[in-house]
Parts: sequence; structure tokens; C-alpha cells
Amino acid sequence: MVPGAGLSLAAALDFGTLPSQIVNGVLNGAIYALIALGYTMVYGVLRLINFAHGEVYMLGAYTALFVSWAYGFRPDVPPDQLPESSLATLLVMMLASMAVCATVGVLIERFAYRPMRNQARISSLITAIGVSLLLQYGGGLFLPQNPPPTMNERVNPYRQTLELTLVGAPQQLSEVVEAARREFQAAERTFEERLKSEKDQFNLSPEGQRLRDAKFEAERRLRDAESKLNSAQVTVRVGAGRLAILVASLLLMFLLRQLVLFTPTGRAMRAVSQDFDSAALMGVNVDRIVTITFVIGSALAGAGAMMTATFLGTSITPYYGVLPGVKAFVAAVLGGIGNIPGAVLGGLLMGVAETLVIWAGYSQFADAVAFVVLIVVLLFRPGGLLGSSAVEKV
Amino acid sequence: MHVRRTIPAAVWAALIAGVLATGCSGSGDAQKQEQPSGGEAPKTSANVRPQPTAEGNKAEGDTLKIGIVVPINGDQKPWGDDALNGAQIALEDFNKQGGIPGKKVELVIGDSGSNTEQAKSAAEKLISDGVLGIIGDVTSSNTIQIAKSAFEKGVPVVSIGATNDDVTKQGANVFRVCYVDSFQGEVMAEFAHKDLGLRNVALLTDRKQAYSVGLSNNFRKHFEQLGGKIVGEEFYETKQTTFTGQLTNLKAKNPDGLFLSGYFPEVGPIVKSAKAAGLNVKFLGGDGWDSKEILNSGGEAIVGGFFCNHYNNKDTRPQVQHFLKRWKEKVGGEPGTTMAALGYDAMAVILDALKRCKSYDSKSLTAAIEETENFPGVTGDLTLKGQNGNPRKRALVVEVRPLPEGFVMRKAIEPKDLGQ
Repeated sequence: MVPGAGLSLAAALDFGTLPSQIVNGVLNGAIYALIALGYTMVYGVLRLINFAHGEVYMLGAYTALFVSWAYGFRPDVPPDQLPESSLATLLVMMLASMAVCATVGVLIERFAYRPMRNQARISSLITAIGVSLLLQYGGGLFLPQNPPPTMNERVNPYRQTLELTLVGAPQQLSEVVEAARREFQAAERTFEERLKSEKDQFNLSPEGQRLRDAKFEAERRLRDAESKLNSAQVTVRVGAGRLAILVASLLLMFLLRQLVLFTPTGRAMRAVSQDFDSAALMGVNVDRIVTITFVIGSALAGAGAMMTATFLGTSITPYYGVLPGVKAFVAAVLGGIGNIPGAVLGGLLMGVAETLVIWAGYSQFADAVAFVVLIVVLLFRPGGLLGSSAVEKV
Repeated sequence: MHVRRTIPAAVWAALIAGVLATGCSGSGDAQKQEQPSGGEAPKTSANVRPQPTAEGNKAEGDTLKIGIVVPINGDQKPWGDDALNGAQIALEDFNKQGGIPGKKVELVIGDSGSNTEQAKSAAEKLISDGVLGIIGDVTSSNTIQIAKSAFEKGVPVVSIGATNDDVTKQGANVFRVCYVDSFQGEVMAEFAHKDLGLRNVALLTDRKQAYSVGLSNNFRKHFEQLGGKIVGEEFYETKQTTFTGQLTNLKAKNPDGLFLSGYFPEVGPIVKSAKAAGLNVKFLGGDGWDSKEILNSGGEAIVGGFFCNHYNNKDTRPQVQHFLKRWKEKVGGEPGTTMAALGYDAMAVILDALKRCKSYDSKSLTAAIEETENFPGVTGDLTLKGQNGNPRKRALVVEVRPLPEGFVMRKAIEPKDLGQ
């Protein structure tokens, strides 16, 4: 139409989609929060930024994938021969991911970080980066990545979309839509009748073309009517799988909170995070607490990885954990690293901030906004939103 | 340092070509009312494709060396492996049919390692080893680097899978056997408008891939020329995992089609979440979709989507059937990507040209490649004569069907169908 129409489109704000976008943001943020918990817990206890956390997450995704393959959800199986999935399948996958991640986390701590514990902190930090690279490139040698595999969607028994209409449309509009739909269905039937006598669907006879165009015409009228209906109402659409991610994340976070606040292990953990040496003097088995910290943090990453791999169905590569790892790390710092509620808050905030930038029409800056938010927050609260602002030398 | 002296001419020529080219596409919106057909753009660059001034390599003894630069390592390895196997089969076929009497053709392999720096140094190494011509690479950005080095030395390049329009503007020594993105965009725009009856299409572009950005722009240009409307465009980045924000925005624009110009690892998940976001529309894309994995990653949602491809395993043309038979003998199974057939064609084109060479050196090889007319390749009949290195050949529109059907060819669109 007009030159530069693409640009002006970006600036238009559509408040009808705002509720949907906020829900999207919270759902994305839940995953960041789950991974951020691992960073924050390890930092809280060891004052170590575990850069290999993203790679633990990646291994969790692969584990979930392999378990799904073992169940028979292989990519080369035609859809009608796939087995039925159930909640139990998902639970087994999640537990397997959590178990593998916890093991890997413990091994990393035992063999990479523990020998460095009494060295300067920078050594541990560099070790962490080393482990991260080792797992990325080492994984590249052994894990399937060409082409990057994805989880079969049939693993997920909850594939429907849930719709919630916040503001309804006038009755009159829905009637118009219904009328248009009937017209379209009639045109479609006539065309399909005609199609039976046609040789090639994509090289039609003139009469076939006329009927096809009539069908398109009716379809366009239906779309127009639907469009009017849609803009008159405010609807939030959520995939059931994404809702499952949120519910499971909240449940895991709640369990973690109970564990940290109300169990002896949790008390020991808090003690170690306050003062490593004094806690040891008071009879806390520090090595055991550190191991438990890695078990919990890594298992949470495993759960998160299994859920993203299954419910979002993104391609899995040895670099699967890099971007989520960086974002979760930012979320942890944003909320105040070392602070558990802070990690959750940071994750949710980042998820919502990103989606709002997309909502405003600047999807090309969605990844940058996380870092902008981080810089702004750190300018005013150097310790993060909920963190302590004591100056520390790293 | 003596090399530097030869650079400025090439650089200036490339710059001018680049400026003219971007000038055309940049002001495309304003110009399009005046010029009815999109076929004008390639002609303006006809006069600016610079001739290489260097002499190039000469064959020594009875061995004629041809180089191939493809990614044998890195994340583009599946394409590189397929292309290399294809090229080797083409060479075997050529020798079986008699080859060149008294001469032996040798294929020298270079690894582009899936990145531009390594592609450049691999090409330079092959040129200093005395190859007469180079085939490769499978991607546009790598091919541009190879083409630059080859231009300086006067060695011809036949690219396998570089579809970006700018690739062959590097010099008159650069050719390709695949179609260009502007043709691909036009094919899909035509198909969307005419055969699918779409009028309001939304774009979803991978901002990190020049290929995706270029293809989206080409689709936009041609679809608007046909009278369709692009109702919105959103961006994502390679390796991104959630797309709900972008899709919610696009849903509000009420498109009847969604053009996904990115690569298959993202397209599959996008299509799935698009369905979940309530976008019950037709999905369309380019050759970036070409991988069996998209059937799995796109699930039920991708079924019924259409994309543009160079070649299809179910094609009944005799060249395709012969190629598939030879592939089965040598590699086993069916080729996983279209790069296998394109690798075969790139090698076959250069070998065919070698046969017609007046003398065995880079210069006459370049001239012989330029003379290629109606060459019966696996991916279609291709003509390079007077085409500025961009072959006139067809593109296939392929529909995604559930396994075991897979990719089903729906329509072959020849350049003449688009009035070119």
C-alpha cells in the first residue's frame, strides 16, 4: 500500500491482546524462574555462578527425548502407529530427566568444583565455564543433532487449547458470522463436488476455477466477519500444555519453599549460605549440603527442560541450554542472586517484559529487553530486586 | 601485499553492483506502480557483473582438478555431506559415460566448516592447489566469501545451494544451480494468491538469517504486486523457543495465511504454537523447510502446509529416477536433503562445461559454463547462458503430508509461468 506501511504497523498498540500477552509472559517466565532457581541456590550456598547449569538443562531435554523414544514415540513412525500417551508417561519422563540432571549436577560439583573450593573464586568461575563448554561440545560428539530432533507432540496427551472470553461480543455479530459460515460451507461443498471430476487439484478447468474462486470469496467474507467478532471481544487462549508447565513449576517451587523453610536440611542450607565456615563449625556437614543443593537445583532444571521439550516441542541441540541459561541467569541476578523468591520474581518479570515488548510491536528487540531491564534495575538496586546490597568482591 | 592492488577494482565493482541492487529493492515500494513486472531487477545488474581480470589456473599434465567446498563439519554438516556425495556420484557417472578422453578429472575436497572464514580459506587453498573451478558452498554467506577469493584469482565458482540474490553479483565467474530467493518468493506469492486464494498474509521472519529476511521481503513485494495484503510482520531469532507473543499479535491481525521464511528447526514449533494460539490458517514457506524433521517438529499442525523446493524424491523425471537409483547404490536410502541433488547438478554442470572447453584453464571453463543451455539436471532443466549466473529453471511447490507420504509435489512453476 503505502511505502513504509510495515513500520507504522509496528507502532499500533492493540489493547485487546494485552491480557493474552500478559498470560503468555507469565507462562514463559515460569520456565525462566525454574532454571533461575538452580543458579540462585548454588550461588547462595557456594558463592559460585554455575555456568554449566544451562548444559545440565540441555541434558535434561535429551533425557526426556530418549525416554519418549523408548516409549515408541520415534519420529519415523507414522502417526497412526504411535502408542497412546498418558500422564504416567509424562511423569516417568520428568522423573528420568530430574534424576539424570541431579546426577550430572552432583558429578560436576564433585569433580569440577569441589577440588577448586579452596582456591580463589575466579578459578571456580573459570572451571564452571570450562565444564559448560565441555558439555556443549562433548555433547555434540555423542548426542543426536543432525537434524536437531524434536519431541513428538503425541507424547503430550494435553494438546487442546483453552479459551477464556473476558469481554463477549454482541449477539448480532455472532449471527453474521454464522450466516457467513453457512454460505462458505455451501460453496466449499459445491467446489469439492466439482473437484471429484477434476484431474489435478492445482491445474483446474475454467469451471473448476470459477467454483474455487467462489469458495475463496465466501471464505474471505467469513474471515472478515470473524475478524470483526474477534476484535469486538477479548479472549485469552492458552495451550493446555503451557498451563501444565505453569502448574508444575508452581508446585515444584512450593515444594522447594517448604523444604528450605521447614526441614532440618533446609535450615542447614540457610546456615551454609549465611556463613560457610561457621556452619561447618556448628556441626553442619557442608559437603552434604552442597551436594543436596546441586541435586535440587539440577533436578529443577531437568523438570523445566522436560516440560519445554515436551510442551513447546522446540528442537533439541547440544546448545539447547545456552539461551535459556543466560536468560535464567539474568533473571536470578535481577531478582537478587542467592535469593530464592527473587529468582521466581526475576523470572516472571523477565517473561512479562519480553512479551510486552513483542506486544508493543518490537519483536526484534525481545531478547535485548531482558538485559535492558537488568541494567536499569542494577543501577538502582545493585543487589537485585530482593537481594542484599552488600558490596562483594568476586 | 601485491594482492592488494588487484582488490580495489573488484571491490568498487562489487560495491556499485551492491548499491544498484539494494537501490532497486530498497525503493521497490515506490517503483512498483511504474514497473508492472518484477523481472526487471536482474537485467539492470547485467551490465555491472564485473569480469575477473586474473588469468586463473591452467591444467598441468593429464589431471583436471575441480575443487568442492562444502561444510563437512559444523552445524551445516548434513547439507555438506549430501552435497559431497551428490558431486561424487556425478563424477562417477561422468567417467562411466567416457569422461574426457586422455584426461582424468579429480575432485579435491575443501571443508568450509559451516562458517565464512573457513570457507574463504578452504577456497584459497584449493585455488593455490591449481583447481580449474570450484563448486560450493551450500549457503549464501559462505558462497559469497568463496566467490570473492575466486574472483580475484579468475577461477569459476558454481554454487550448490546459495539462493540469496546477491551471490552471483560478485563477478562474471560466479554461477549457481539453484533458483534465487526472489524467484522463490515470487513462486510462493503466486501460489498463495492464485491457487490458495489468500489475500491477507502475515509474515514471521527469523531476524538472524539473511536468507529469511530476504525471502520475506521478496514474498511481500510480489504478493503486494498481485494485489494481496501483508497484514503484519513479526520477528524471532534462531534458537528461540517461545513464539506465543508474536503469534498472539498476528492472530489479532486476522490473516488467512502465514508465511514462515525461516529454517525448519524453528518453523515446526512455531506452526504448533500458531495452531494453539487459534491461527487456523494456511502455512507457507521456502526451501528452509526442507527436512524430514519438520514432519515431527510441526506435528499435526504442519500437515497441509506448502513450501517451495528445488527437487522432490517422488518426481518421475528420468534424471531424478536415475539419481535416486545411483544414490541408493552408493550411499543407501534416499537423500535426506535437497542439497544432494543440487550437489550432483553443480558437479554435472561443471563437468559438462569441461567437455566443451577449448583449452583446459579457468578462463575457458568460465566461458563454457556461461554457455550452458537446457542442461538436463536432476533438479530441472537449467540454462545459464545470458542469465548472470542465475539459472532459468523451475521451482516445485510441495505439500506437507503425514508420514508415510511426507513431502508431496503439488505444482512445478517454470520461470515462464511468472512471465519471466
